[in-house]
Parts: sequence; C-alpha cells; structure tokens
Amino acid sequence: MVFLLENILNLIGFAVGLVIGIMSYIGFKNTGSPTLFRLAIAFFSISVGFFVIWSGYMVDDFILKTGQIQRWVQTLGIAIQTVGYFFIAFSHTIKSFFPKSRYFRSVGYVPLFLVSFISIEHIIRSISFILLVYGAIETVVSYIEGRKKGTLFVAFGLALLALGEFLAWYSFVFPETILYPASIVVKIAGLLLLFVPVSKVPLTKIKFDKFEE
Amino acid sequence: MKVVTPYRTHMKIVGEILTTARDNAPDETGASVTYLIRKANISHVRISKILGTLVSQGLLEQVDSKSACKYKISQSGREFLVAYHTFSRFADNFGLTI
Repeated sequence: MVFLLENILNLIGFAVGLVIGIMSYIGFKNTGSPTLFRLAIAFFSISVGFFVIWSGYMVDDFILKTGQIQRWVQTLGIAIQTVGYFFIAFSHTIKSFFPKSRYFRSVGYVPLFLVSFISIEHIIRSISFILLVYGAIETVVSYIEGRKKGTLFVAFGLALLALGEFLAWYSFVFPETILYPASIVVKIAGLLLLFVPVSKVPLTKIKFDKFEE
Repeated sequence: MKVVTPYRTHMKIVGEILTTARDNAPDETGASVTYLIRKANISHVRISKILGTLVSQGLLEQVDSKSACKYKISQSGREFLVAYHTFSRFADNFGLTI
C-alpha cells in the first residue's frame, strides 16, 4: 500500500514540478524575468527530487529486491527537493527584501526544536518543512494583498506539502503507523492544489520562437 | 492600518511603459516622453535609460516628430506585452511579481 502511494506521489510530484518548471522557463525566455528563472529552478529541482526517489523505488523493486528504498537515494531525492523549496522561499524573501514582522522571527526559531541529529534525512526534512511553511505564509500574505483565488490554491498547496513533510518526519517517531501513508496522501493533495491555478494559465497567445532557438 | 505600497520592479515599469504606448498614446504618431513620464509615473533620467533599451531591443519604435521625439509600440513590443501579462498572472498565483 505504502509502495503504491509512494509511486503515485513521486510520479505526480515529478509531473507537476516538470510542467510548472517548463512554464516558468518559457516565461523567463519570453520576458527575461529573474523571478520566473528562480521559479523554474525551484520546480525543476522539485521534479528531479521526486524522480530520484521514484527511480530508487523502481531500482529496488526490479533489481535489488530488498523491499526498501536505499536510504542514500531517498536522502538525495529529498535534498534536491529541498533546494527547490529553498528557491520558492528565496523568491519571497527577495520580494519582501527583509521581513520585519514578528512571524518571521518566530518561524526562524522553529528549526532549533525540529532539527534532529539522528540522520541527515531528518535534518533535510525539517529544513524542507521550514521553507514550505515560510513559502505558504508569504503566499497567504500575497493573497491578502491581491485577493486572487489562484494564490490561495498555491498557499494551501504549499501548506499541505509542509504538513506532509512534518508528518513524514514525525513518522520516524511512530514507525509502522498510519502517519507515513497519511503524509503521502497529504503531499499528493498539496501537489494537485499547486497545479490547479497553473493549469488555467492561457499559453495559446504566446509565441515560442525565442524558446525554440 | 497603514498600507505600504511595494516598489515596482523594473519589469513592471517596462510593462507599464509599453502598455501606455499601446493603449493610451494620444495620437497615431505615438507618445511623447513627457506623456510617458506622466502616465508611467517615473523620473526623466530613469525613463530615458529604459526607453533607450526598449528601442534597441525593438520593443518600441522611435518616431521623429516636428516638435519632439515620440515612441510607438512595435509588433515585438505587442507580443512581449501579451507574454508579460500572461506570465505576470502566472507569477501572481505564487504570490510573486515578475
């Protein structure tokens, strides 16, 4: 069951990341916007991260047959995804230059309580969680300013990914419980929410001459 | 509650200049620098640099009028504007400004 859910999650993550990454890159090629370039890097990283984990499961299922993904492959995939989450958070940090509000300072202290020294994977998951929470909060702030429905979808998507990451991290404390499958389902929902507003962007009028060069 | 207006990005200023040149040009000969300064709300020094760049990239056409230099949007400029508005909405979804 977990194996199936993991595969669904990783394939959806790969596809959603790839589509948003490509759209951002087309946007960058057409407008030269650095924001879109950072978004492209972010979503290509997320896509590659999911693909690495999916490949790990496939290699194990067809070749190694140990019944478990290689730890280092999972850690590598999560680390690559974290780079993507970093670029999403980084784009918001640049936008706000340096947030002076109280919430940023409180979010900044959270890693002290979350970082576990047991393994690198724990540390990376907690970093991902912080970056996703930060990205979600900043997107909610943007929604309050602009009141655009699409922004709300992305904010909820990032929030669900953060919750999924938290549950996945917490499942180390309670292994073999429903926590880990729940984290996967929550992450799948988050990725689908991220894709909803992006799927409504009309690209039909855009000329792709520059992109094809 | 005090509402702070965020700074416009360079891309947004370019978008506003091109939109003004496309939609609000007072006549068919194009828009004068003064007109663009007023509509895009930007200083003369800054707009001069941006107009130079836009003309060199072929997004604006410089038209020599009797009294002053005027600017008209080119076909590439119109295509750029379509892309700009599309991807501006795309970035808006992520709470970002291009």
